[in-house]
Amino acid sequence: MSTKQLIENDIDAFDKFGSITRTLFVIGGIFSFISFILFFFDTHYFYFSYLTTYMFFLTLTLGAMFIVLLQYLTTAGWSVVIRRVPEVLMRNIPLMLVLFIPIIFGMHDLYHWTHLDAVAHDHLLQIKRPWLNQVFFFIRIILYFFIWSWISKTFFKKSVLQDETGDHQLTLDLERSASYSMILFALTLTFAAVDLVMSITPHWYSTIFGVYIFAGAVLIAFSVTSLMYMYLRRKNLLKDIVTVEHYHDLGKLIYGFNIFWSYIAFCQFFLIWYASVPEETDFYLKHFEGSWTFVTILLCVGHFGIPFVFFISRWLKRHLVYHACMVLWICFMHFVDLYWIIIPNVAPDGLDIHFMDITLFIGFSCIYFAMFFKNLNKVCLIPKKDPRLSESLNFVNF
Amino acid sequence: MNEILLAEFSTPGKLLKAAEKLSNCGYTTYETYSPFPIHGMDDAMRLKHSKLGWIVLCGGATGLIAGFSLQTWVSLHYPLIISGKPFFSYQAFIPVTFELMVLFSAFSAVFGMFALNKLPQHYNPIFKSDYFRKVTSHGFFIGIDSNEKGYDRDKLRDLFATLDVKHIEVIEDDE
Repeated sequence: MSTKQLIENDIDAFDKFGSITRTLFVIGGIFSFISFILFFFDTHYFYFSYLTTYMFFLTLTLGAMFIVLLQYLTTAGWSVVIRRVPEVLMRNIPLMLVLFIPIIFGMHDLYHWTHLDAVAHDHLLQIKRPWLNQVFFFIRIILYFFIWSWISKTFFKKSVLQDETGDHQLTLDLERSASYSMILFALTLTFAAVDLVMSITPHWYSTIFGVYIFAGAVLIAFSVTSLMYMYLRRKNLLKDIVTVEHYHDLGKLIYGFNIFWSYIAFCQFFLIWYASVPEETDFYLKHFEGSWTFVTILLCVGHFGIPFVFFISRWLKRHLVYHACMVLWICFMHFVDLYWIIIPNVAPDGLDIHFMDITLFIGFSCIYFAMFFKNLNKVCLIPKKDPRLSESLNFVNF
Repeated sequence: MNEILLAEFSTPGKLLKAAEKLSNCGYTTYETYSPFPIHGMDDAMRLKHSKLGWIVLCGGATGLIAGFSLQTWVSLHYPLIISGKPFFSYQAFIPVTFELMVLFSAFSAVFGMFALNKLPQHYNPIFKSDYFRKVTSHGFFIGIDSNEKGYDRDKLRDLFATLDVKHIEVIEDDE
């Protein structure tokens, strides 16, 4: 089949996701309502549970932004046909801004440093006050979201515009702006990780924490990208366009970033373990308490060990069923990772799974993906006039 | 006496076609030479997947076990107290274990590649050919050894003639 034919049959058919969008909105609405009721039973825990789920999807959105920036920055050819899903995923930044509102209400529960009376008696927190105070916190959050929406809007708009005009200059423009956007992305992601997650334990600090969150973000974004294309494949879309060769390459990147995550996670632990300085070990002592030890071991084995052994094989990466299973497992492990970072602060005695962890996650993900499909409905499924499209269509692994 | 039939082609596409044709005729151990890797050549020559990955896996596993057990052994048999940590501090062993795994994998990759390619090979009659000198810049060659099953010089000449060959040369090996 020639490229021309493929494009007419497969890609221009808009409004294919109307029913799934509606279904997801309804399920998301129901589960959000259940979570809202559960909010009144345990308000304090709710905010931590909410932050965990929120971070899961924020890292997904930002990871998708990284994928798009990376493809332009490296002028990658193979990835053109798998660029649209990350582009639409990063368009959920405005949604993430709206869903940030509950965290504003929960700041007193989440962040110890907002209690001014406690800060007054705490020398370390007083020193950190120029950074950790509510006014500057909000200014920073607004700044992060401003930069993120600007990047995602620029890259999405121009890429979609190219579908119509086919102007090659747009690709060159985006390649240029990818350079400084990447620097802005790196800075904002690092500081957002510090502000949103690390400041839950305001006495503790780790200079590698931003990279740690980044590694998880890229991992989850590549995994979800792979999953979304498999979903489209099941719906008989893009079957001859996104081939097993592309899944193989996505698999390689997922595998690589999984090892990167393990490397960073171990580095963080290792230096703190070696130095054994009280303010630093505080964080890890919490995670070796009671049944949290089990979750720590689960992360070592499940997040690193299992994918490392089972995803190494070329055959496995190219076998779509196994590929999908492994990628789903990695998504689950990313959630466990964030759960392990955030929840010990509210449940220090041991693992404590609440019903609202599940309802919140389902509700959040349904709304998130409903928005995703709503945006995907409006665009072509591949950047059909990208100058490197034919390179991507004919891409073969050695 | 051995001989090698060397056929030169002007483009990688023609080389690929010729390799395909030879595979279809049942030849299995011929060699193709080109200045750069050609997409699809593995399939055209019906090459199996390389065993190198398994060799590297064994090398890596050896390095992993060797590194970890060496550190365990020395720290238990020559106990030193280092910043009050237990003698068997597996956390501290991980970097060295990792490095040894990488080192052993790299060694097995390089030397495994040498072994699979039968390197080092100090003599190959193919270098007697003057045509073959351009193989590193713009020559595309097929070489068939007379030890190959079903080797028939005249039949191969006829076969290559149908494949738009540039030159055919017979290299005699008098060793």
